[in-house]
Amino acid sequence: MSRAQDMIGTWIGWTFFADLAKGLGLTFGYMFSKTVTMQYPDKEKWLPYSRYRGHHFLKRDEEGEIKCVACELCARICPCYCIEVVPYEDEKGNRRPIKFEIDTARCLFCGLCEDACPADAIALGQQYEFSSFSSRDLVIGRDDLLAKPGKAATGGGVVAARLNTENDVLVETNEPQGYNWWRNIRRR
Amino acid sequence: MELVVALGLIVFKVALLIAILLLLPLPLTWVERKIAGHIQQRMGPMRVGWHGLLQPVADGIKLLTKEDHIPTEADRFLFKLAPILALAPPFVVFVAIPFGESVSVLGNEITLYVSNMNVALLFVFAVIGLEVYGVIIGGWAANSKYAVLGSLRTCAQMISYEIPMGFAVIGVVMLAQSMSLLEIVRAQADVWNIVYQPIGFFVFFVAGLAEAQRIPFDLAEAEGDLGAGFHTEYSGIRFAFFMVSEYVIMLLVSVLTVILFFGGWNGVLIPLPPLLWFALKVAFFVYLFMWFRFTFPRYRYDQLMAIGWKVLLPLSMANIIITGIAFS
Ligand code: SF4
Ligand code: SF4
Repeated sequence: MSRAQDMIGTWIGWTFFADLAKGLGLTFGYMFSKTVTMQYPDKEKWLPYSRYRGHHFLKRDEEGEIKCVACELCARICPCYCIEVVPYEDEKGNRRPIKFEIDTARCLFCGLCEDACPADAIALGQQYEFSSFSSRDLVIGRDDLLAKPGKAATGGGVVAARLNTENDVLVETNEPQGYNWWRNIRRR
Repeated sequence: MELVVALGLIVFKVALLIAILLLLPLPLTWVERKIAGHIQQRMGPMRVGWHGLLQPVADGIKLLTKEDHIPTEADRFLFKLAPILALAPPFVVFVAIPFGESVSVLGNEITLYVSNMNVALLFVFAVIGLEVYGVIIGGWAANSKYAVLGSLRTCAQMISYEIPMGFAVIGVVMLAQSMSLLEIVRAQADVWNIVYQPIGFFVFFVAGLAEAQRIPFDLAEAEGDLGAGFHTEYSGIRFAFFMVSEYVIMLLVSVLTVILFFGGWNGVLIPLPPLLWFALKVAFFVYLFMWFRFTFPRYRYDQLMAIGWKVLLPLSMANIIITGIAFS
């Protein structure tokens, strides 16, 4: 009984193109839903979450001294062998790195160096725009690493941005927090 | 003197028509890309001008300045002829299309059509049929397997869909007792034909989709399996000709649908200027075309043929019989 009814219902549906109409309704709904396009890089930019593993940075302690004690644990644990640390003894008699280089061309951003560090000196921050024309430029030294931005306080938003091509191509942001990109995705 | 004025008026009308038809594809490509974008949760063109409004102009410049390439193995004469053959018929058809009764400018009544033929419908179908030559010759002259396959497909498709399309309008002709498009619209002043001819409308519109080679019947240029079908080898301005012709045919099918089934410039409820009513209805059908394009997948070739011969043709014949019995 019900099966026959179902059959008849399906046939009636086919006669009046219920399936095609359903598809049209779906696309019509999508047409007026929010777009998910991010107009990167000259209008908008995505801010990473604080858990994001971007470019490495080296931390300083309260006195402004580099935290790293040049124990070379990060160099040892790194699966790509892309960290090179050379220790020396500074004026206060502390062990510090005189050379600290990360080859970001080889790094796979696993974050193991961050986990291994006993002095909490290295971490992976929020910067993700460091493409380059030469792989040699991707070897980052100690002082550059100290200057890199740290972990994001908040994140996950899309903020207004501007592409600056004057001397160096870089994306400038000027808002702390924008709209939540993930909310815009229509799921069904 | 009278004759000169009348002639001048006709020349002016034709020039205006050509200008409008040549320029209209520009905004239409923008609209189509916007609709495509939003249906797929994208934004469409955004960079050139406000919300990408100047994008069609940029595309036009790109097409004009691109290398006009002719393959060495191609038949050069036919290769150059084909885009013109594809472009001309859709423009010619518009001569027979009325856009309204008349408007008065400076106390003179000016009719909104170039000519009121008493066999306008026949003329329209005859001239649309010529468009297939551009496609066949274009595909043949390029001497490439994709192009030949594409043009063979298009040829078969156009011929098999013109038959149900022609049959579908017979019901309308029977109702209006005339083949003149003007008379057909006048006959719909009270009730639109869609009320009496739903089957006819359905057959006509589906066949029109196939005739305009739009998804779901765009077998001719199925990007997935044929490169770009008959215009695979075309580039630059010649390719633009094919594109313009495709858009004009899309417009033409929308206009014909409105005239034959949706009362032309006759409005309902809201009293708008007739020309505006006409434009709004045509815009709706153009939107429908684009909406279909980004909703439905393409039919397979055998399905296409089956729909044409096994569904649309019997339906259109049944429509004639029903109309004949009901309105005799
Ligand atoms: S993130 Fe992983 S691969 Fe990169 S430097 Fe640290 S340990 Fe090596
Ligand atoms: S960054 Fe940490 S693990 Fe690496 S050498 Fe310095 S203190 Fe040791």
